[in-house]
Amino acid sequence: MSTLSFTLRAAPKHALDLSGLLPSRLAQLSTGDIEKLPLVTGVHAINVGDVFTVSGTPGDALAISADSTLLDYVGAGLDQGTITVEGSVGNHAARGMTGGTLEIRGNAGAYLASTAKGGLVHVKGSAGDFLGGARPGDKFGLLGGTVVVEGNIGERAGERMRRGIVVTRGTFGAAAGSRMVGGTLWTETGFGPRPGPLLRRGTLIAPKVDELLPTFADCGRHDLVILNILSRYVAKTLGPLAPKPLPPMVRKLAGDRATIGKGEILLTA
Amino acid sequence: MSAITRNGVTIDDTFAEAFGMSALGLIITADTAKWANICATVMTGFGTSVIGAGAECGIDRELSPDETPDGRPGVRVLMFGFSPDALKPQLLNRVGQCVLTSPGSACFNGLDSPTTLPLAAGPRFFGDGWQTAKKLGKQRFWRVPVMDGEFVIEDKCGVTTDAVGGGNLLVLGRDRAGLLEATEAAVAAIAEVRDVITPFPGGIVRSGSKVGSKYKGAIASTNDAFCPTLKGAVKSELDADIIAVLEIVIDGLTSEAVANAMRAGLKSLIEAGAAKGVARVSAGNYGGNLGQHHYHLKDLLP
Repeated sequence: MSTLSFTLRAAPKHALDLSGLLPSRLAQLSTGDIEKLPLVTGVHAINVGDVFTVSGTPGDALAISADSTLLDYVGAGLDQGTITVEGSVGNHAARGMTGGTLEIRGNAGAYLASTAKGGLVHVKGSAGDFLGGARPGDKFGLLGGTVVVEGNIGERAGERMRRGIVVTRGTFGAAAGSRMVGGTLWTETGFGPRPGPLLRRGTLIAPKVDELLPTFADCGRHDLVILNILSRYVAKTLGPLAPKPLPPMVRKLAGDRATIGKGEILLTA
Repeated sequence: MSAITRNGVTIDDTFAEAFGMSALGLIITADTAKWANICATVMTGFGTSVIGAGAECGIDRELSPDETPDGRPGVRVLMFGFSPDALKPQLLNRVGQCVLTSPGSACFNGLDSPTTLPLAAGPRFFGDGWQTAKKLGKQRFWRVPVMDGEFVIEDKCGVTTDAVGGGNLLVLGRDRAGLLEATEAAVAAIAEVRDVITPFPGGIVRSGSKVGSKYKGAIASTNDAFCPTLKGAVKSELDADIIAVLEIVIDGLTSEAVANAMRAGLKSLIEAGAAKGVARVSAGNYGGNLGQHHYHLKDLLP
């Protein structure tokens, strides 16, 4: 597999838009053409060649060697192939992604994987607020695909999320799954305060919750067939990244009953 | 007609004539293999012939927990019909009445195919608004609240139009009890073959039919040429010592599967048949003009 490498020469002073750096878009371009691609347009235009050293051969994989929270839209619109970032990135990474793999070996900023429809995002560190969330103007947040975060996730993850799975080894911040309409948020550690405000449908899985909203109703402990299906699905698609299989029994809390209340918080401990 | 004799059993130089059909497969799981089998047996019940039963149904095989989507014991059932549209009401009724109702059951697609039929289109509305769906990858699973927890059913199931119905073996015997035993053993051998079912009771038909009847409105009637009690009265296919004939009808997802099943059945009959009084093995056809698939017995000999 041929890899095209981008090495950041100096820390940027302005936010850069890296949405143009996708394997499928760069496959046919020469290094010279790639260096002319814009990262900032307008009066203070910055091209790829101004900040990155480009090397390697275009192909199915991109390697970005950079560690700056000013790198926005990394892997936005990714449709195939792999992007690996050695370091942290800024906001809106993996926005609108439809396929392929984005691996961030540092932290991710806010709005990770907003409106993404498919593919896999793997963050070694932590992720910011509104992960898989809807930005103003978006009808929905995450629409499909899988996000795995090894650290913690910020507040309001899964805001207006419709489909897909978000898994973290760490915790979700406050109000995870707010206004969510479908999909699965799954933590192996726990949810912060008041998860699921105005949750319509969808599943929030955790061993514990810091503070429950009063509009979630205890439905008791159950062994659900869907848990086996979910555990087997993540084991198959995520391999070593998959969370531990769910226990046979979970406690189901139905809500948010301030709205249609067809969502659920499943407590595994 | 030159027949071949193997191990004391005469194999007629004839062919089984079978028809193109549509088919779908389902995986039914439950908490135990016992209950998966009960559910699958009831769901495939009264599924002998498309002529009067609407669909031809049967159990393909049992599945270990590793082979099912939910990690529980399961059974794969197959349903055959004239067309995907003809299978729709059968699917709705059988799943709605026999699978949804069975304790601990879940129902999944059991056939990968680019064309699909709606599987949960009816049963999910049993949830009266409390049903929810979970889409994982390309599959969508419905969760319907029921009195023992949740009934999980996949949204769609694959359907193929390349299936074959009506592969068959006619087993002619000198001893009724021995013939039944030998034919049962052949059905058991066919059950080991993947992607096929033998839809009749215990896999065996005793009322083989011919096309047409002297009575208006009947599209099929008894196959008098193979009826032992009419031996002297009609143009019979039976030798003087034959006292009973049993038929195994085979439906398969592919023509190859049907051929494999007939081969397995023939092998079993040749190996153990003579001692049980099996004299001849023949096959049913309509002169070769009605069915698209012909299986010549001499090509399927072990």
